[in-house]
Amino acid sequence: MLQVKAGNMDTMGLLFERYNRPLLGFLFHMTNQREASEDMVQTVFYRMLKYRHTFTGDGEFRSWMYHLARNVLADHSKQNKRSSHQYDLADVAERIGGGPAADEHVQKEQELDMLHRAMAKLSAENREVLVLSRFQELKYEEIARVLNTTEGAIKVRVHRAMNELKKIYLTIENGKIANKL
Amino acid sequence: MEKLPINCEQTTNQLTDWLSNQLPDAERVSLEAHLAQCPACQAEADSTRQLWQLMGNLPTPEPSPMARVRFQAMLDTYKETVTEKQESIFDQILAKLRELWVPQNALRLAYSLILLTVGLGAGYWINHANSPTVAYKQQIDTLSTQVQEMRQMMMLSLLENPSASERLRAVSYTEEINQTDGRVIEALLTTLNNDDNVNVRLVTLEALAKLADNAKVREGLVLSITQQESPLVQSALADVMVKLQEKRSVKHLRELLRNDNLNDLVKGKIEQSIRDLS
Repeated sequence: MLQVKAGNMDTMGLLFERYNRPLLGFLFHMTNQREASEDMVQTVFYRMLKYRHTFTGDGEFRSWMYHLARNVLADHSKQNKRSSHQYDLADVAERIGGGPAADEHVQKEQELDMLHRAMAKLSAENREVLVLSRFQELKYEEIARVLNTTEGAIKVRVHRAMNELKKIYLTIENGKIANKL
Repeated sequence: MEKLPINCEQTTNQLTDWLSNQLPDAERVSLEAHLAQCPACQAEADSTRQLWQLMGNLPTPEPSPMARVRFQAMLDTYKETVTEKQESIFDQILAKLRELWVPQNALRLAYSLILLTVGLGAGYWINHANSPTVAYKQQIDTLSTQVQEMRQMMMLSLLENPSASERLRAVSYTEEINQTDGRVIEALLTTLNNDDNVNVRLVTLEALAKLADNAKVREGLVLSITQQESPLVQSALADVMVKLQEKRSVKHLRELLRNDNLNDLVKGKIEQSIRDLS
C-alpha cells in the first residue's frame, strides 16, 4: 500500500487480488446482501485510492482496509435502512423445506440456516466483532485497531457476542424442535 | 445466574480466546486441564466449539468474475484522472460516476464525456476570447452614467415645473446624483434666488449646504444673502454661513441689516451671526 501511496497504482491490483475475497466475506456477513456487498467491495477499493494519503504505514494494511470498509458499510446501511438485516434465505429454505431432516447433509444445511438467522439477529456491533474474529481471523489487537478501542474491550465484546449468538441459536433450535413436535 | 467457582467463570470467559487460538500457552494448558476435570465446563466448551466450527462452515460468497473487471476499469479511470493532474471538483464527480459504471457502458459514457468536455472547453474558449467581464463592466459603467444623466435631466426639467411639490422633489433628487456638475448647481442657485415658494427655497438651501465643498456653491450662497426677502430664508442662510464659517458673508449680512424692511427677529439673529463670524 505504501507503494500505491507513492504513486505506483499497479500494485493496487495485487492488493485487490489478495483482499477482495475476505473483504467480500466481511461485507456479506455484515449485510447478507450479496450484490450490495460486491458493490461495496468496489467502493472500498476506490476509497483506498482516493484516500491513499491517509494510510500512514504504521499499523497493518488490513486494519486500515476494514476501517474503510466499516465506513462504506455505515453509508450503505444509512442509505437503505429498510432493507438491511433482511436477507434472502429463500433458496436455503426451499431445499430444507421439502424432505424430512433424516439426511445428514440436509441437517447440516439446517444448522447453517439456523446459524445464519442467529447471526442476522445479533446486534450489528456484536456481529461485527464476531465476523472480524471468526471469519476474517483478525486478532483482538487488530480488531481493536480497526474499531479504535482497546484489546481488552474487544475481548469482552467478542465473548459477550459469542454468548448472545449461542443464546439466539439455541432459541431458534428449540423453536424448530417445538414446531416439529 | 448460578454461581460458578472462580476457575469455571474464568474458563467460560476464555473460551472464545481459546477457540481463536489467542490464548497464551500457559493459560491454554491450565484451561485444558480444567476442562478435563470439570464436566460442566467441558459441555459448555463443546457447545461453544460446535457453534464456532459451524460458523466456519457458513458459506462465504465467491467474488463474481465481474468484480475484477470492474476493479480494473475503476483503477484505469482513476489513474487517468490522476495523471491529468486536474483534481478539480468536476474530476472528482467524474471519478465517482465512473466507479458506478459497468464496462459495457464505459465506452458510450466516455464518448459523451469527451463531447461534453470539448463543448465546455469550446464554450470557455469562446467566452474567454471576448473577455466578457471587461465588456460587461463597460456596459454597466455606461449604463450607470446614463442613469446619472437621466436623473440630472429629470431634475433640471422638474425644477421648472409649476407645481411646488414637483420642484421640491427635483431638489431632493440632487442627493441621489453623485456628481453634480455646473449645470445642476446653477439651476439650484437660480431656484434659491428666484423660486416663489419659500419651502422650495429652504429645501434648496439645505441641498446646497450639503454641496458647500464646491467653491461655486459657497460663492452663490454668499451672493444670495442680499437677494432674499423671506425672513425664514434669511435666518436659515445666516445659520448656514455660521456653520460654514464663511467670512466673506459678513459684508453681505451687514448690507442686509441696512435694509429697513428687515424683520426685528431676523435682525437680532443676523447681528448674532456677524458676531459669531468675526
